Amino acid sequence: MEEIKAKTKDINYYILFENYTHGLALEKLLKEEGLRARIAPTPRSIQGKLTCGMSLLVLEEDIEAVRECIDRHQAKYYSIVEMECQINPNRNVFC
Amino acid sequence: MSDYVKMWEDLGMDLETHDALCQVLPTAFGDVYLSQENRPEGMGFWDFVVSEIHGIRPSELIEAQKNGQKVFGTFCVYVPDEVVIAANGIVTGLCGGSQFWVPGGEKVLPKNTCPLIKASVGARLDRTCPFFRIADIYVGENTCDGKKKAYEILAEDVPMHIMDVPQMKRPEDYDRWAHEIELFAGVVEEQTGNKVTPEKLAEAIKIVNNKRKALKRVYDARKAAKLPISGKDALLMMQIAFFDDPVRCAEMCNKLADELEQRIKDGVSVFPEGTKRIMVTGTPLAIPNWKLHHIIETSGAAVVCEEMCTGTRYFENLVDETQTTLEGQYKALADRYMKNNCACFTPNPGRIDDILRLAKEYNVDGIIDVNLKFCSIYDTEGFFVERALKEAGIPVLGIETDYTDSDAEQLKTRVEAFVEMLG
Repeated sequence: MEEIKAKTKDINYYILFENYTHGLALEKLLKEEGLRARIAPTPRSIQGKLTCGMSLLVLEEDIEAVRECIDRHQAKYYSIVEMECQINPNRNVFC
Repeated sequence: MSDYVKMWEDLGMDLETHDALCQVLPTAFGDVYLSQENRPEGMGFWDFVVSEIHGIRPSELIEAQKNGQKVFGTFCVYVPDEVVIAANGIVTGLCGGSQFWVPGGEKVLPKNTCPLIKASVGARLDRTCPFFRIADIYVGENTCDGKKKAYEILAEDVPMHIMDVPQMKRPEDYDRWAHEIELFAGVVEEQTGNKVTPEKLAEAIKIVNNKRKALKRVYDARKAAKLPISGKDALLMMQIAFFDDPVRCAEMCNKLADELEQRIKDGVSVFPEGTKRIMVTGTPLAIPNWKLHHIIETSGAAVVCEEMCTGTRYFENLVDETQTTLEGQYKALADRYMKNNCACFTPNPGRIDDILRLAKEYNVDGIIDVNLKFCSIYDTEGFFVERALKEAGIPVLGIETDYTDSDAEQLKTRVEAFVEMLG
């Protein structure tokens, strides 16, 4: 339980894209470089007018390396949004 | 890149109401799926599909329609996809698994209708799901009274063909089902403008058999002592199999199975040693119904198998590929589909045999028999299921639930107590 609580205070980064082609390209690139990023549905609160549903979820400890990789390859993305971890397995609210 | 909002508008969807679902889905998916540690890499494909759930596959279907293909929406594992594929048609599942759609169904259906039917009718009539808008024709089947009558309501809004599934398993019922498949082929030919030939049907039988084999490989990996994948992830794969292109589905499932088999060799597990192994039996868990699996897997247990339509009933038993005439192929299809042991049959001892066999194959510690509220056939059959399990010495917990969150904490208490009782 304590571990889960600590986790909710973590900072996550969501990399947003104009389309999923850019998203999948960056995901592949990060994987090739051994960097961690997970495909995630974009939280609606940060999606704005973007219609692309996928984002890449990056942990705080990995974000600098990911940013560096993006710059080095001039990889396409829309924005990087920092937010407190939204994931809570004990919420028990489904859809 | 297609603009999904424009696509949804063109489909005549109610965008404002649909947006409410877009708000809750990412949060629920994060809580249920992204909270897991050490998931198989291969699950990235399904995470991607969920991220684009009302965009990517719908736009593929619309493209296919522009090229003259027809889309058939189905609600049951008894409807033979092979016949549609043989006529260059596309099948998409339509079962609704979200509370979001239920109030829409309740506008026209009695409250004491199962949530799956209410959600499915609501998704169509409230215009909040692209798949329900895209399908050129719905294919229903009379597997329960609730569905039969609901299809009459849907038929006022969308073209509908109903298949008459036998309710008994006498030799003449097998013949009748083969004839029903032949009639369905006529409807499919009329819709698509394409002939169902023995060559095309043979090809389609292989395509769907390959998909079944791929799904089975993933399920087989769940028989391992060290579980390489969670029940939640396997359920997601299964739920999306109803919507995806069958060839791509097989390819992705085989890729996932390769990874799982490697994990078994390497002794990699997503659960601590000693985690109790649960099989769930009963009514289907249509996407995005992840409630019960999530509750079980956050209560110290793992789901290792689903004896459900969204589970073993979808992939067990292959269609005989050696038939070369339409008559022989329709008979082969009928034989395979009639092996599915749905509670709509009377009597239905095959289902009890399946559950006892699967309990051994997956080495389960306990079984949760889950029924969607107001599903009287599965609920009643629970009498035989629970009695047989008690006789076999397999602990069983019977649960009745729906799509709402209101019973989640109560269910968690019951599941936790059950898991604790397993020792």
